[in-house]
Amino acid sequence: MDTRKLNRRQAVSLLGGAAALGAAGPAFGQAEPAKPAQIVVNHSGGSMGTAMRKAFFAGFEKKYGIRVVETSPADFGKLRAMVESGNVEWDITEIGGQDAIRATKLGLVEKIDGKIVDRSKYPEKVRTDFVFASSVYTTIIGYRTDVFKNGTQPKSWADWWDVKKFPGARSMRNHPTDNLEFALIADGVPMDKIYPIDFDRAFKKLDQIKPAVTVWWSTGQQPAQLLLDKEVVLATGWNGRFYDIIKKGAPVAIEWNEGALKQGSFVIPKGAKNPYWANKMLAEMSVPQQQAVYATELGYPGLNLESLKYVDDKVKPYLPTQYIDKQFWIDDAWYAENGTKAIELWNAWMLKKA
Amino acid sequence: MTARGFWPALPALLLLFIFFLFPVVRMLGFSLEGGSLDWYAKALGEGLYLRVFWNTFEIALLVTFFCLILGYPLGFLMATTTPLWATVGFIFVLLPLWTSVLVRTYAWMVLLGRNGVFNRLLIDSGVTEDPLPLLHNFTGVMIGMVHVLLPYMVLPVYGAVRRLDPAIVAAAEGLGASTWRIFWRIYLPLTLNGIFAGAVIVFVLSLGFYITPALLGGGRVIMIAVLIEQQVRETLNWPFAAALSAVLLAATFAVYSLAQRFTRPQEAT
Repeated sequence: MDTRKLNRRQAVSLLGGAAALGAAGPAFGQAEPAKPAQIVVNHSGGSMGTAMRKAFFAGFEKKYGIRVVETSPADFGKLRAMVESGNVEWDITEIGGQDAIRATKLGLVEKIDGKIVDRSKYPEKVRTDFVFASSVYTTIIGYRTDVFKNGTQPKSWADWWDVKKFPGARSMRNHPTDNLEFALIADGVPMDKIYPIDFDRAFKKLDQIKPAVTVWWSTGQQPAQLLLDKEVVLATGWNGRFYDIIKKGAPVAIEWNEGALKQGSFVIPKGAKNPYWANKMLAEMSVPQQQAVYATELGYPGLNLESLKYVDDKVKPYLPTQYIDKQFWIDDAWYAENGTKAIELWNAWMLKKA
Repeated sequence: MTARGFWPALPALLLLFIFFLFPVVRMLGFSLEGGSLDWYAKALGEGLYLRVFWNTFEIALLVTFFCLILGYPLGFLMATTTPLWATVGFIFVLLPLWTSVLVRTYAWMVLLGRNGVFNRLLIDSGVTEDPLPLLHNFTGVMIGMVHVLLPYMVLPVYGAVRRLDPAIVAAAEGLGASTWRIFWRIYLPLTLNGIFAGAVIVFVLSLGFYITPALLGGGRVIMIAVLIEQQVRETLNWPFAAALSAVLLAATFAVYSLAQRFTRPQEAT
């Protein structure tokens, strides 16, 4: 911890703590750092914040008596600005998958303390040193059940592209990620052969669907709302957003086949004011019972594989972890390298008159 | 500037210097990273960015035009009607100004959608059979932006008309000038200041619009602010973001000075 950046209260509590520890002498090294009045968790906001409070923050506050202050949204640019200016407000922050890789490379994040955060029940591949995998989500097809009755919905990206057999306005994300992959799958590329992405082939395929897409969405809530308003009858979107309106009785259902899986990630920014308590927070977020609460709220299961044991059977069909075999993982490492190029090509393609 | 006038203005000047001038200069520094003009070459050399700059100016010009033809009569009416009606007018003009842009944008989505209020009215009354495409396209962006920016046109026009000496109009009427002639020879030239002020504010604010085009344009209407935001937050290419911003700033200044020369605002009275 950088002492120059301590605020007065922290300085006083640290001094107090040091004085008390002074008496204890040799125990100094193992002692728990003084408790701050609060820690700051930055996340994407909205219903996610509500669910995190219920699943993780409420318990953390009760256990340690440290207030959890929430800010949003997740913002890579802001993270970099904070770390570079030495004024780090966040103790932990949510971050996009490819951004997490780039942040690690740029040295913007602290190492996660394996002694505090127990990830032994996590899949091997997500136990990385600097990034905490918080949950799984997937981009899949949401459809109106009053338009596509009794299982007549598109069940693959080839179907999605088939506007004669499956007519109706569609909405897709205004971003290359997901759409390039879907285009390639629709064009016959097997799910395990998508990367490295062949831009020419993907955009050529996207040309075909462009006239049928009436809305290119930019915020996560849009696809659910567009389906609710019947502005479109088919939309790609994040499973949790569809789960939310389905729970509330909307005539909408999810087709899980060939969905694009991603992991939600959290990191501790370099120079965070309370790294020890940030790790404690991540520990709270890896408790299976708490992850089950979170998954039930939002439809985003945690990566502690034991958490599914605590989820109600009625909720399980809405969790992407049930369908992992039919889906594919977005390759964050590929995007960390090629993301900029992909975005430029995407913008140019978007401007092209269809 | 006399010394006596200088001191009270000092806090504001300091504020402007620290929070405006300094960051702008720093941003310009960013864009010249490594002493090269590469990022400017990219901003001005690649078709994609030129197209988006052009789109942005085109949209801003159209928005200014619509705000002018809608806002001038409204500002004029508010300045010449009874105080009661003027107050009513002010409430209608200012109320939206105090509401968040995001809320208003979402409200337009509810009103303009395929199954929105407008289209249902039109279909139920038999005006059209199929819903009109009002949302998720250029039309939607225009409606949303003009609505947000209209007050910035109405208020300067109102001020300009109020400042006008009624005696001049009375004199013209007394000398037998037609209503049209009075408007053309008296009102218009003497309120040119207000028109110019309103137009410049609307135009400049339009250039930086971001959320309204993104949500009402269905992703198809791309303005330069969207690309700058991408460079700042997604690709983390701050030098390029700075270069794009600098080009936008320079172009805005150019348009501003051109407009000023062109209109030659006249002294009132």
